[in-house]
Amino acid sequence: MLEIILKLLEVSFWSGIAAVGFGILFNVPKSAIMTIFALGFGAGFIKFLLIHLNIHVVLGSFLAAFFVGVISLPMAHKIHQPPVVFSIPPVIPMIPGYFAYETILSIMNFIFTEGEVNTRISLIDAIFTNGFTMFFILISLTVGVSLPMLLLKKNTVKKLDS
Amino acid sequence: MNDSSRLIKTANLLLDISSLLMVSGANTNRANLSIDRFASVLNCKAYSLISHKTIIMTLTDEETDQSCTRVQNIPPYIINFSVISAVSKASWNAISENWTLEQIEAEIERIKSISRYSQLLVLFAVSLAGAGFCNIFNGDYLNMMVAFTSTFMGLFIFQQTHKLKYNLYIRLFLGSFIASVTALVGIYFNIGANPQTALATSILFLVPGVALINSFTDLLDNNILNGMVRFTTGLMTVLAMAIGLFVAMYLFQLN
Repeated sequence: MLEIILKLLEVSFWSGIAAVGFGILFNVPKSAIMTIFALGFGAGFIKFLLIHLNIHVVLGSFLAAFFVGVISLPMAHKIHQPPVVFSIPPVIPMIPGYFAYETILSIMNFIFTEGEVNTRISLIDAIFTNGFTMFFILISLTVGVSLPMLLLKKNTVKKLDS
Repeated sequence: MNDSSRLIKTANLLLDISSLLMVSGANTNRANLSIDRFASVLNCKAYSLISHKTIIMTLTDEETDQSCTRVQNIPPYIINFSVISAVSKASWNAISENWTLEQIEAEIERIKSISRYSQLLVLFAVSLAGAGFCNIFNGDYLNMMVAFTSTFMGLFIFQQTHKLKYNLYIRLFLGSFIASVTALVGIYFNIGANPQTALATSILFLVPGVALINSFTDLLDNNILNGMVRFTTGLMTVLAMAIGLFVAMYLFQLN
């Protein structure tokens, strides 16, 4: 049990580092860096905890991205930065790079494997499984992170109108 | 200064602000909101058409009812969240302190001169991020070393070709090609427990995360055209990355 928790914390730590790396690539203000690390850590923790509990990676990514989107709103008011500044970098580590890689690898093998029908069928299976998982993770990440922003922005606009 | 030249100056300033925001990676809604905020401070009303490469704006003075229309091209996109943050702060300060045109102009000039992180710091931070990715996808610390090195090499090429003003997609191809070749050397010598993960994560620094997320927020805001443009840009980026990886893997005959 302790081993699992330590592994989870290690992975979350590296998610935070990856988020900060991308934050620096996108030239975020210095005052936002700690927040980005914390959000990256939290998102990584939620995602890998959910995957460990046998929840599908698409749903796990969605909930982790939704967490980032929700938390970034009060944080935006607290440290006076617009929410995009620290809602995008923590989501980037969850981009399904490994599924994309597997998809490309299967496509390559499919192109260069001739004749053997069974291998080709299993490769088609791999292309579709990995490709669609990748696509749905991408959608769940983008929708998850932008949904709270859009929902709450609508609310404040309504308040202004009334 | 007479009214019409002042109006033209205001329009140019607002166009400058919105193109600055678009270049820095804000979504269309944010660019529109910022224009509206600044325009309301300057007693004007702005109506604008923002596309990916051009902004058209008609500005109407609310007192004299004069109007002027201006068009501005948007320079190539370079994501810079510090600019977005600074413009957002400036817009709130401008409203609460009722800034004049000259004050806003001076602040925008200051924002334009905000420095970026140094190239070396970016290289190290992004390479660490690459190593982090490798850990996330079950790599051990030797794999993370390989991922670090290949991200470093790929990003270095990506940055140097930017200085030589190469086409973006050629740069993406070269960056992903160099990064995956470096990671493939790791596979060739079988470094670490899981050398495949280093290859899969070495090119992730090129992932068009901002373009894809902004594309969906634009689509959800009903800025369908801009959303589609951003999505296509993201798709082209992924394609260029995939071709780089593909060619590298073909050269190493990894099947």
